Amino acid sequence: MNLAKEAIDWLDRRLGVRELLHKNLGGYLLPRNINIWYTLGAVLLTMFVLQFVTGTLLLVYYVPHTEKAFASVTMIMNEIPYGWLIRYLHVVGSNLIIVFLLAHMLSVLYMGSYKRPRELTWLSGFILFNLGLVFCLTGYLLPWSQLSFWATTVATDAAGAIPVVGDQIIAYLRGGPTVGEATLGRFFALHVMGLPLAFLVLVGFHLFCVRRVGISKPPFGDDYRPTEMPRSFHHDEHPDGVPFHPNYTIKDGAMVFFALALLVTITFFAPWLFIPPDALEPADPFFTPPNIKPEWYFLWAYQTLKIFPSELLGLASQGVAMGFLALLPFFDRGIERRPSNRPLFVTLYLLGILVFVGLSMWGHYS
Amino acid sequence: MKKIFIRANLLFFLLIFVGTLPAAAVTDVCIDCHGGLAGQLGEIPTAEWQTSIHARHRISCHHCHGGDPTDYVKAMTAERGFVGVPEHSEVPAFCGQCHVGVEEDYWESLHGQVIDFGGPNCVTCHESHAVQVATIDLINEISCSRCHSYEKPALIKEEISATEAMLSRLEASIASLYRVGIDTGHLEDELFATRNSFRRLFHSVDIDKIRAETAGFDADLEQTKATIDELENTLGKRKIAGGALVLLLLLGGCIALLIRRTYEGHE
Repeated sequence: MNLAKEAIDWLDRRLGVRELLHKNLGGYLLPRNINIWYTLGAVLLTMFVLQFVTGTLLLVYYVPHTEKAFASVTMIMNEIPYGWLIRYLHVVGSNLIIVFLLAHMLSVLYMGSYKRPRELTWLSGFILFNLGLVFCLTGYLLPWSQLSFWATTVATDAAGAIPVVGDQIIAYLRGGPTVGEATLGRFFALHVMGLPLAFLVLVGFHLFCVRRVGISKPPFGDDYRPTEMPRSFHHDEHPDGVPFHPNYTIKDGAMVFFALALLVTITFFAPWLFIPPDALEPADPFFTPPNIKPEWYFLWAYQTLKIFPSELLGLASQGVAMGFLALLPFFDRGIERRPSNRPLFVTLYLLGILVFVGLSMWGHYS
Repeated sequence: MKKIFIRANLLFFLLIFVGTLPAAAVTDVCIDCHGGLAGQLGEIPTAEWQTSIHARHRISCHHCHGGDPTDYVKAMTAERGFVGVPEHSEVPAFCGQCHVGVEEDYWESLHGQVIDFGGPNCVTCHESHAVQVATIDLINEISCSRCHSYEKPALIKEEISATEAMLSRLEASIASLYRVGIDTGHLEDELFATRNSFRRLFHSVDIDKIRAETAGFDADLEQTKATIDELENTLGKRKIAGGALVLLLLLGGCIALLIRRTYEGHE
């Protein structure tokens, strides 16, 4: 008797797992013209799991104390077997997650998949993207390097531009007047407990929305027609589609392999891409390194703050831009999703990417 | 005249603060005041210092000139240890506050013995504020010929060139290892000690002594090199393993895509 079959039989008799699996795998049909961009969700899930695993392993030796954090990271890198690999996978992985999150969001935007009835899917995804950035920001401080210390000082300083409550927000973020032990403590707690829990809940909700509403059909091809918003709940079925498993999961698998290949390539051959020289020196609150810059994904925000006459205006403009993006499906209510029929949107989309890249490069070279 | 006097005082103050203060405040008061002043009292030494090896190692104005870089009022007072600009013959002791060993050898050398007669002090060869990482290129015909013929310096340069080249190579290797996250602290300490002792040696400008002792330094450097080679070898192995893993992952991806193609006929 096959043990696995016996176990599944046992579960099936009690929970009906065979029906559940069939409904969500082989019997779950996806649009026939589904494209490669739809695999980014699986890639991101894999990367998150990897972050969780490597982060947990790092926790074994990392010490969240200003006097010991840098030394503990140095020890992980040099004395713990494969510690360097685990840490680099974690560092490089965090950066690649932002790359994949951006690509995922951009593809969803381009194909108009954010439109109703998928507002909640978009909103939860957008919040997840922002949580990803907060993950990076909090994780950035943990090695307690020069870069950690000063980048966090600059980042938390920005909140001071908010009228009336700015100083209180800084004090709350830092746990004191300057970045120090209290800041490290709260960033550490957020990074290893608060954010993962919030992330898990949101990822669950995001996947629930995707599954419940149904995968959106890519707006390409002759047979594509925009559909009206149904008056009551409607699961987007694709009766002539392809099974999720194994037809699409194997494509997901291929992309996961390629994403991991990219991760391993950078980890083994160019980890310094995401580790500036200032990240190699322990934090020195008394010495500000020249030309301290935030990570690449915050450069656009950094430069925005610099080009506005006041930090408040810069922050406000960022808030407006992010708020607009978050609520886009509530503004953009048209049913048309084909990019060729949305010239204004595509123009703004391209301009948005150019502004993001331009500001980031400006921030990098300024 | 009064203005110049005030500026001179300010510069003096700027340059000398107390050496015992944390590096934190290093540049604060000194640069704040003198950075805005013209010429030798301000912008020139400030700009030169910012390009220097001292600036990179956070050795600031007060470390040499004394004074208190945290206090605008008392920054340049004697009570805060301000010593100002040294006389020509005081320079070796000035630099020797940190470069203790080299100073000893310098005093014993011909250079040191003729300092009261206008002989060279440290800054004659190394510059003052724009001081850079010392290299063998400091020994050159133009520089040495300011005081004497180049014949003996050329001999010394030839004698030390192989060891200096080895030092440079090892420094570069250590920097590469450091950049990829290797803890190079002990290697840097080792090399620092060897380099300093070696450079003490040729500050004696005694060709016979240099010839006799250079081999000992070469042996020390070989030991450091062996450790570096071992680390580089480990890194090389990691890259081979990484390359193999990347190939496996790419192969996995390609196989998955091939399997995907077999489904297309049934869709």
